[in-house]
Amino acid sequence: MQIMKSKSLFSLAGRGVVALATLATFAVTPLRADETCSSPYLARIEGQEEFVYVWTLGVEGLGDGADKLVTLDVKPGSPTYGKVIHTHPLQGRHEAHHGGFTDDRRQLWLSGLESSQIFIYDVYTNPAKPRHVKTIDNFEKITGGAVGPHGVYALPGRVLIPCLSNAKDQGGHTALVEFSNAGDYIATHWLPTKDTPGLEGAEFADGYGYDARVLPRKNVLLTTSFTGLKNYTRPFGELIQDAEAMKQFGNSMVLWNFHTRQPRKAFHVPGAPLEIRWAWGEKNNYAFTATALTSKLWLCYEDKNGEWQAKEIAHIGGEGGVIPVDMSLSADDKTLFVDCFGDGKVRVFDVSNPHQPKQIYEKQIGKQLNMVSQSWDGKRLYFSSSLLARWDKLGDDNEQFVRAYNWNGKELTPTFELDFTALKLGRPHHMLFGSTKVGNSTVAAK
Amino acid sequence: MNHRIESIRKRRAGAGTSWTGVGSEARCRVASRAEADRPRSAAVASPLCWRRRGIRAALLAFALAVAGSSAIAANPARTPDHDYDAPKPGSYKLPVIKPAADGEVLDAQGRFLRLRELTRGRVTVMSFIYTRCAAAKACPMATGVLMQLHQHSAADPALAKQLRLISMSFDPEGDTPERMAAYSALADGRKPAAEWRFLTTASQARLQPILAAYGQAVNRKDNPNDPTGPLNHTLRVFLVDREGNIRNIYSSGTLDPRLVLADIRTLMMEQNTTAKK
Repeated sequence: MQIMKSKSLFSLAGRGVVALATLATFAVTPLRADETCSSPYLARIEGQEEFVYVWTLGVEGLGDGADKLVTLDVKPGSPTYGKVIHTHPLQGRHEAHHGGFTDDRRQLWLSGLESSQIFIYDVYTNPAKPRHVKTIDNFEKITGGAVGPHGVYALPGRVLIPCLSNAKDQGGHTALVEFSNAGDYIATHWLPTKDTPGLEGAEFADGYGYDARVLPRKNVLLTTSFTGLKNYTRPFGELIQDAEAMKQFGNSMVLWNFHTRQPRKAFHVPGAPLEIRWAWGEKNNYAFTATALTSKLWLCYEDKNGEWQAKEIAHIGGEGGVIPVDMSLSADDKTLFVDCFGDGKVRVFDVSNPHQPKQIYEKQIGKQLNMVSQSWDGKRLYFSSSLLARWDKLGDDNEQFVRAYNWNGKELTPTFELDFTALKLGRPHHMLFGSTKVGNSTVAAK
Repeated sequence: MNHRIESIRKRRAGAGTSWTGVGSEARCRVASRAEADRPRSAAVASPLCWRRRGIRAALLAFALAVAGSSAIAANPARTPDHDYDAPKPGSYKLPVIKPAADGEVLDAQGRFLRLRELTRGRVTVMSFIYTRCAAAKACPMATGVLMQLHQHSAADPALAKQLRLISMSFDPEGDTPERMAAYSALADGRKPAAEWRFLTTASQARLQPILAAYGQAVNRKDNPNDPTGPLNHTLRVFLVDREGNIRNIYSSGTLDPRLVLADIRTLMMEQNTTAKK
């Protein structure tokens, strides 16, 4: 009988103590696919990515002028490889920025930084043609005043949305917000300030937010800090002339108890630390971040005594700032790609020793550069150009592109590129991988 | 208990079946009748009772092995996958996520029940599983955690009284009531302990609304002979409070029995406080 032949719990039982002793700690080998910076709770793609979803800002007077989700075909051998195969425009412009999948990878949530709307797409029914199914348009009201939803991070049965601002003063004090996968609001957790009782390093806590990512094995959540709505919606050239406004940037990282959602320790990390990249190795208890305004690479790590620390580990670029923005860490934790908006270069660091990174390569990708997404096998990288609608460069420097490259461990070689201005699409921002083949479970606990 | 269930109970009781008995023979008779109620296309041939006794023996070995390997109370130590200390119960909040959905289910004795009846009145830990699953970080892991909670409750009368465990199958074709009855041997020999129910559904038509309501993703693999089982699924374990609200959702990365127990105790303390008020 088939059910008696299957290697089920019953047959495990027959193996007795040995099998069961391994039950709690048996490690599933992660499927070698997907983006390296995605949530560890996310169901993984099997094999190579087939689609790249590009969350794209609309540009007034260009095409329909609307924010849109653009789907690229990146399936090898496909007749439409490297082409746009689907677009879905929304109504108006919302400052399209980041997004993320639910943990079952059936939905893609995309956030609007300016309108504080969340757009939910079904990417399960037909991954080649994402279908808009719901909009959360009362974010400020239901969250108790959080605005500027930024990333969307998969947690079991829910998503975590780190925000950038608040409705009251549109400054940098903000919150982490949770929704169920069905779109039901769950909770708002405000970032700690110097007045937060019992917080180690409270004097460094400024209440600002940006990224939020979890190391499940250690039950820790790490958050970084950027700036509020009244800054990120202001023209960049004007903003940098305003000394008072330039003081309103985050200078902190906060380590949280993930399960209880309670902040544990604040670190002083000056200059707007942005993306967080936890290492994947089962004993690698550390994460990287880069500070946009001071061009530094930082490491947050657990020391020999089990205490969490943060320290500057490298300068990025030469004299002056290069505005490091997005980063991507290879799945083997050895190579870190750092995009620099200021000079349009990607800088690659050998981080085999995370305390002493060494730059091993750099390449000019464009006149401006923001996001990077890397395949799990480290062989393919996709770059996009736009930072924010009012912060992108002007004139001829305002290139808007998605450019794909292969990485052989030593250099990047181009595979295809798409000019989003010529295609009348807009400003490409976050890129996420899609596929018709999704693994059978979430990746093993880190 | 609704009228329909009651009528089924009477009809079956009239046929001489003991519904309160927990012996393997009683389970065998009842489950076979429940299968007779299933659509022909969904039916799976029942194993012979003598063969199930072999399953039972194997399950008892499984239970003993788990008992010896990782009891929560006896060994609260960290593991490589869960390298941290569990929080103190009551020191944090568990916000309401959404109401736990209802649906028509079958218990291991083949009785029709409403899921709503089993997600109210106690703190409930409900795990969606299928018994053919052999992915170590999926259903066997979830059932192992429920077993540890069950063990723990056997030594804690307050916990035994206020906790309910549910193993809910999403594989009605494979997981007949009879198979769930055999699977329920995992809970045998540990009394008094928390109530542990083993549930399935009569058909996909009954199952799908439940899966949709709980957000449990399940689909068939391309290879039905995959050694880890024929179904793709996310791992989902739900914590439900006494009022029937989902308060936490666990997956492989968060299904640490120490965390689940801390959450259960947090809800027990919350409810005790509410009761005192």
